[in-house]
Amino acid sequence: MTNDALNEKYARLDRLQLLALAGLMLVGTAFVFSATMVNPVETEKFWFAQLWFRQVMWYVLGIGAAVALCLVDYHPLARWSYVAYWAMILCLVAVLIPHIGQTHGGARRWIDLPFYQFQPSEFAKLAFILAGANFWSRPPDELKRPEVFWLGIGLMLLPFLLILKEPDLGSALVLLPTGLVMMLVAGTPRRFLLRLLSGVGIVAVLMVADILFAPVHWRIPMQDYQRQRLLVYFGKDFATADATPAEKAAARELQRKCSYQGQQALISVGSGGFWGKGWHQPDSQTALGFLPAGAAHNDFIFSVIAEEEGFVGSIVVLTLYAVVLFTGLRIAGQARDRLGKLVAVGVVTLLFSHVFINIGMNIRIVPVTGIPLPLLSYGGSSVLCSLIALGLMQNVYMNRRGY
Amino acid sequence: MLVFDELKKNDPQLRLVAVVLVAGLFILLAGLWWVQVVSAREYQSHLETQQFRTIRIPALRGKILDREGRVLAENRPRYNLSLYLDDLRKPFKVAFDAEYAQATNARAQMIVGQEKKLGRALTKVERKQFAFKTEQLKGFGVQTREQVAASVVAQVSAKLGEPLALDPKEFETAYEKARALPYPILKNMNAGQIARFQENYAGGQGVDLELQTVRNYPFGTLAAHLLGELRQDNSSIGDEYSFFNYRLPDFVGVTGVEGIYDSVLHGRAGQESVQVNNFGYRQSEDVDSQPAPGENIVLTVDLDLQRAAEAALLNHQGPDANAAVVVMDVLSGDVLAMASSPTFDPNDFAQGISREKYQQLQDKSAEKNRASQENYAPGSIFKVVVGLAALEAGLNPDKPYTVEPNPLDSAHGLYDVNHVKVKDTAPPGQYNFKRAVERSSNSYFIQIGLQTGVNRVVALAEKFHFGERANLLPRQETSGDLPTLEQVHHNWREGDTAHLCIGQGAVAVTPLQMAVAYSAIANGGTIFWPRLVSRIEPQDTAAGGMTTNFPAAVVRDHIGVSARSLRILHNAMLGETEDVEGTGKAAVVGPQLRICGKTGTAQVQDSANRLIGHNYWFASFAPFENPKYAVVVLVQSPDESGSGGALCAPIAHDVYETILQKQTAGAPKILAAIN
Repeated sequence: MTNDALNEKYARLDRLQLLALAGLMLVGTAFVFSATMVNPVETEKFWFAQLWFRQVMWYVLGIGAAVALCLVDYHPLARWSYVAYWAMILCLVAVLIPHIGQTHGGARRWIDLPFYQFQPSEFAKLAFILAGANFWSRPPDELKRPEVFWLGIGLMLLPFLLILKEPDLGSALVLLPTGLVMMLVAGTPRRFLLRLLSGVGIVAVLMVADILFAPVHWRIPMQDYQRQRLLVYFGKDFATADATPAEKAAARELQRKCSYQGQQALISVGSGGFWGKGWHQPDSQTALGFLPAGAAHNDFIFSVIAEEEGFVGSIVVLTLYAVVLFTGLRIAGQARDRLGKLVAVGVVTLLFSHVFINIGMNIRIVPVTGIPLPLLSYGGSSVLCSLIALGLMQNVYMNRRGY
Repeated sequence: MLVFDELKKNDPQLRLVAVVLVAGLFILLAGLWWVQVVSAREYQSHLETQQFRTIRIPALRGKILDREGRVLAENRPRYNLSLYLDDLRKPFKVAFDAEYAQATNARAQMIVGQEKKLGRALTKVERKQFAFKTEQLKGFGVQTREQVAASVVAQVSAKLGEPLALDPKEFETAYEKARALPYPILKNMNAGQIARFQENYAGGQGVDLELQTVRNYPFGTLAAHLLGELRQDNSSIGDEYSFFNYRLPDFVGVTGVEGIYDSVLHGRAGQESVQVNNFGYRQSEDVDSQPAPGENIVLTVDLDLQRAAEAALLNHQGPDANAAVVVMDVLSGDVLAMASSPTFDPNDFAQGISREKYQQLQDKSAEKNRASQENYAPGSIFKVVVGLAALEAGLNPDKPYTVEPNPLDSAHGLYDVNHVKVKDTAPPGQYNFKRAVERSSNSYFIQIGLQTGVNRVVALAEKFHFGERANLLPRQETSGDLPTLEQVHHNWREGDTAHLCIGQGAVAVTPLQMAVAYSAIANGGTIFWPRLVSRIEPQDTAAGGMTTNFPAAVVRDHIGVSARSLRILHNAMLGETEDVEGTGKAAVVGPQLRICGKTGTAQVQDSANRLIGHNYWFASFAPFENPKYAVVVLVQSPDESGSGGALCAPIAHDVYETILQKQTAGAPKILAAIN
């Protein structure tokens, strides 16, 4: 009897997904090691102070949090979703206040706690998924009502705008497809969605056109670096046509600096070739400092993997993510109710957006944005949230039977 | 499979999501394929461009040897004491951080002070004023690097006991432009310095010995004109790769054998790649292609004879004399020695000559090879041509001729050619051919010259190839002057013939031409193409490679003079050195080596026909019985009281002494074995 119960308990977890997760965590540790241990400052620290070890610590913490979440059925959790949502909104507002939120690298995204830099936007995404799942899991008929539709949009827009203000365009952007997909799966009428999509599409095109072509006084207020990143992506000259040669030279210099990171990442990825150059070689782009040390272990960790393990390595990483995503979809399909389905779909879309934008940024099919690669990039908040999100998915899976 | 399970279910939205997911992953896959497989080579080359610097490594220059294999030009290792900037990266950073921290503190204090003054916190805009500008930060970098480098240099200086200084500007330029290369702080160390460095400082940070090779001429000024000068030039030659990031110093020959045979001596430069990090510091290096060393050149020159000739010039005439000596093998045309004064030290050029020194050389025209590059009026040594022409035309050498005295100077003769009066250094009296040669009688030779006719004289002179180059030292030879047959029929007076017969006027020669001519007289009438380079051989004989031989005794022409005429001339020239009346007695070395000679004096006039100096000559060959060597000496001097016999014959004497010593010492292979 106990045996059956135990066996059932094990069968309640989606083992394939867990395997893929374990694989990702291994890859993450290995390559954070490779990316950071080229820095003599790092190698001189004690091993437990080194970044790769701290990443392992975050993994352990994250797994702990996920396990904790799985002890309870997700329904009680969902009841707290709005509380979590508003708490995150508060944190997002708090981060924007000068003395509470800390600036690093020009963006005010963190609250410096004694042991940890707390990044509210990461948790806000999770809270949004839960709250959104809760909101859109109401009966499909209700979703046909326009005010429900707009309320849902508002639910999405509030954190979106707050995160955008930090500024953190990347994190804000991933909220949109997540919300959109959740709305779709929930059963929002097609026409609403189509109109929404076309509206968003028009706005996006206008914005891009404005950035690329508009003269100075027509420009939408935007952070300098964000505009520069877009210009770099589209390969547009920084200087306007009527600039003086000196201005043009200065603009070209600035352009070179801005495109440097993306260019180096691309060279790293490309020069990896089919088989890669081997793990942790002394003459990799990172080791020689061409891939900036600050970016190599978080946003551009994929370049490190691609250079060192080549196309083969890239495929392995993509496959691991694919397994996680498709098992997630399977969980969504097998969920026992709309709430669970929406949670699973939301997490899948969130993860996929991260993966697509980050890897796309490394191979230049997407402009550079500051989005981490889930579980592989170094960063406490990102790891914690990814693992908690996956814990939620396991939770949905575990409780798919309802008995 | 996972995906298909979902698609089978009747859940269109999930299906849509699954499709979008697949599409997205596929886009990523395609993108990765494009970047990592299709374009991999392109990115790899980008990588190499930014990570690798190519360095051109000059090849080992070929040696120049004398005919017996003694080294006249070689390469010697040179050690520089150099700073290796990649080793100093850490100290640079430490110093910079310290300086930056200090500056930041100072700035913070300034801000605090300002705030105290204003009684409030500064606004963002006001704070910006205190921010470090990029030039300031750059200045910190420059300053701290210079301090670190200077302190390293000071340490080394103390240990070596040598005063060493660091030029901040040069150092910064090297840091900016050539960070991956070593920066020399002490060039060309001597053995003592090297030893002291190895004992006291080996393994020190950032400083080490750097090995270069430098061209060395072990005998200093010896054969300087033949060897030639080098010039610093590290550009790519021929079909070498032209794009290098850095080029190590290299040399190219400009004049002499170094110049003419530069392509042979130069070898082929090699290439080294240095991998740099994003700061431009050297990470690792790799030799892509080894340099191919140049080939050795073996000259026909004999070191002993060259040394004797140059020493003789120096001893008898001093370093500033305008003079030349040519020693030739009459049986083959090999140049055994060619000396020119004033001379220079090619080591100065190889190691970078100072402006003052070069100016001195230019003032003296020391670079000119006076044996081949300058025209001189031959004076009496041209009389042999006249004499041979006359003998061929039927002159009776024993027929006496009376030389009339000069009414103004009864000790000397005079010849009147249609009111052109030609003075004679010889006294009046009876002269036959032999005596005329011995005493170098102008009157006699003018007489026989006029009798023979200028046509015959010029025709014979053309057979000697006066007025034409010998192509021995391209671009460093003049052709001399000889009137053509056409010219002597046009506006030509008997006075001109008279002058021609005594080797003045329209005729001018180089000592090299005279050596070739006298060799022909000595060897029975063959004009050879003179030869300077005997062969080209590979530097490392073990490595294989071909030797290129240049044939000796290449015949240019035959003067077509009968053996009898030559014998008469030989006898007369023997009398020049051995008879009481001979003017060339100072050349005699002894009966083992009997010398046939001819002295000569020619007037040098400026463009206004004023006398500014004399060319004193002594042209000779030996031994009389079986001629082997020709020695021609020229001294150009403003001194009027000299003569060929007084100034030049002693120099030839010294050369013949050496020849005799070599012969009696049984020195092997003085001459290339030519049958």
